Amino acid sequence: MIDRLCDRAGGKDIAVVGLYCDFLAQQEQSTANMLGAILKQLASRGSILKDIQVAFQKARKEYGGRGLQPSDLVEIIKKAIKSLSRVFICIDALDECTPQHRQELLQSLREIVRVSRNIRIFLTGRPHIENEIMKSFGKVVRIPLSPARGDIESYLKMRLSRDTDPYAMDDELRADIMRVILERTSEM
Amino acid sequence: MPPGHQMATGNVNSFNVSTNHNYIVNFVTEIDTEEHQILQWLSPLEPQRRHQDVRTGRLDSIGNWALETDKFKEWSDREDGCAETLLFCCGSPGVGKTYLR
Repeated sequence: MIDRLCDRAGGKDIAVVGLYCDFLAQQEQSTANMLGAILKQLASRGSILKDIQVAFQKARKEYGGRGLQPSDLVEIIKKAIKSLSRVFICIDALDECTPQHRQELLQSLREIVRVSRNIRIFLTGRPHIENEIMKSFGKVVRIPLSPARGDIESYLKMRLSRDTDPYAMDDELRADIMRVILERTSEM
Repeated sequence: MPPGHQMATGNVNSFNVSTNHNYIVNFVTEIDTEEHQILQWLSPLEPQRRHQDVRTGRLDSIGNWALETDKFKEWSDREDGCAETLLFCCGSPGVGKTYLR
């Protein structure tokens, strides 16, 4: 997704920002860290780095460099976005961060979107978080994804062609693997 | 000096990479510029690294049908401000949400 959008953006005034959530990293994925990661990817653009620098120098003097609060980050992100014609924010596996962080992140995104019409947000996750998204955004366009048979076939072919033990593989085994997996996935 | 700090200085010039994808704990090198310090301070998460892993394991054609829908095109291309802001791609674990290209 990120690559598709980047290819299309091709040097225009468009920023594509990505974030991956992960069950295994819930602790580090605080709201501030997630917003910080979004801002980091916008920081290379324009003069926004100056603002961040100022905040950094200030924080350094106060209590040994404590981090920014989510509300501060939201304000800087809003500013960073102003100079761009379009910003795509892609967040993968939103269902994998804690409900509290998810809620705060969604609220922050809502706040950012409020000031600018040039933002597009792409979220992926399991269907059950849709209600939470609705709560923050009111409206959601949903694309339900299920594995297409053709997709599974091409993926299996790719994986089989990369098999690291070619001597254990023959046409019959290859056909068996394809057949069984396709059968099972069609029952999903 | 607090013990935590001692441990950190003992690790200078080492690559402390934790097991999860987004998080690089203490990536200290000689090119530790102020800009790098500031970005680390903003957030320790490194989504670009995870993105590289995703790219490597991906088959580009997969899920194209989902991104050729009108819903997607409208969301990504429409510029008159009337388009919906948020697109939610949902599905069970393992259906390939992460690997859409």
